[in-house]
Amino acid sequence: MIFRNLIFFLIIFLCGCGQKDRVYQYKDYIFGTIIDIKIYGETENKSKQITNLIFDDFQRLHNYLHPWEKSLISDMNHAISTGKSFTIDDAEIIRVLKENTELSQKTDNFFNPAMGKLIALWGFHEDNIKQSIPSSSVIKDFVTNMPLMEDLTITNNTVSSKNKKFQLDLGGYAKGYALDRAKIILQNNNIKNALVNIGGNIIAIGMRGDRNWIVGIQHPRKPSAIASINLLPGWSIGTSGDYQRYFMMNEKRYSHLINPISGFPSANSQSTTILIPPSKNSGVLSDVYSKPLFIAPTEMKIEIAKKLNIKYFMIIQNDEKILISNEMNKVIKWIDLKDEKGITVY
Amino acid sequence: MKKVLPFIKTIKLGDVLIIFMLMGLIIFIINKSWNTPIGQYLKIEKNNEPPKIISLNQIKEEKIAGLLGDSNISIVDGKARFSKAPCTKKYCIHQGWINKVNQTIVCLPNQITISITDGSESYDSVNY
Repeated sequence: MIFRNLIFFLIIFLCGCGQKDRVYQYKDYIFGTIIDIKIYGETENKSKQITNLIFDDFQRLHNYLHPWEKSLISDMNHAISTGKSFTIDDAEIIRVLKENTELSQKTDNFFNPAMGKLIALWGFHEDNIKQSIPSSSVIKDFVTNMPLMEDLTITNNTVSSKNKKFQLDLGGYAKGYALDRAKIILQNNNIKNALVNIGGNIIAIGMRGDRNWIVGIQHPRKPSAIASINLLPGWSIGTSGDYQRYFMMNEKRYSHLINPISGFPSANSQSTTILIPPSKNSGVLSDVYSKPLFIAPTEMKIEIAKKLNIKYFMIIQNDEKILISNEMNKVIKWIDLKDEKGITVY
Repeated sequence: MKKVLPFIKTIKLGDVLIIFMLMGLIIFIINKSWNTPIGQYLKIEKNNEPPKIISLNQIKEEKIAGLLGDSNISIVDGKARFSKAPCTKKYCIHQGWINKVNQTIVCLPNQITISITDGSESYDSVNY
């Protein structure tokens, strides 16, 4: 009798260990970066199938948006540089162009996807960075006639620009846009709980069972996290840092985050992290809005955060001092108490 | 029962103290070793393959074929590092040794990631 009860209990107990409670994780390398998707509460089959849909969509975006490999955007750049107009028969890409113009204007062009040529001059348009500093006269010449998104004229499905130096580089936008695409695909396929990480930009869909998804924030100078936060359903997190794409010369660091006013890499901070609440384009905003906060001079950063309505931000300055918004300070959990002691709360 | 009772009667206050002290010491040691942030395993991940998890408590030179060629990972005394890589920048090698849970080194050109784990992860993903 006891034995039969025991078997009965075991059956009931083991039924709770079904595969639905598991997290399935998938990785791929697209956009020159790692994509990491975690899905909770679905069968392995469905998780795999929907993840493949997302990877396929990212490959499609890669073929549209890649700034220097053969893509629709590089074809457009080529046409513009020779003074020709270019026809884009795709409403989605026209929307992307218009959104970039809008975001660039909102950030007073600190986010400037039109200056692809300057990024290329600095050697960042290669998988293996060139490591050379352009001559200051070349940079000065470029900056005095800086191409802006406003230079792009869009009439119906035809684009053209009066500035031949215009060269679109969506490197500060594409990962965020892909996050929003992933969110739509997950929702359309009725997946309620997932965590999508594209090259460090992350969006949370739902939760991991009975707890929120937990995300670590990379320390800009150590191979470990500086802090962690609970990423609530629908929220996105984005970081701009000088430790992913950069080169060192004469003990000075030159990152790919270039200030459009000086034409030189911004060197006042090591990283800038922002949290964006749920919205239709929260992925895009988490990618794009971390750039002006990183690039702008220190004294302008707080003002820019206010103007763009970024309530949750953390800026790790070059001297390792940390500026953090009051809202962010309430949700962040420090890993090393030493870091917490060096913060200034706004 | 009759044999046990006289034995219990022989236990003195000092014996009890020693028993409690030893129990306290055991609890302290267990607690200390459970809370140590030093990792036990190295997780090696590469494109589209399930992660390979190996013990950190060994001396080993692990050769992993990546996108560009072979990367070597050295494991010595509970820590690990990239010791050889086919990428041009060698950022992965310059990162040096890692031994704490969740420390991670990514070699983007060769598409290999190594990270330290203790079997359970303290967060789900890393923002960088």
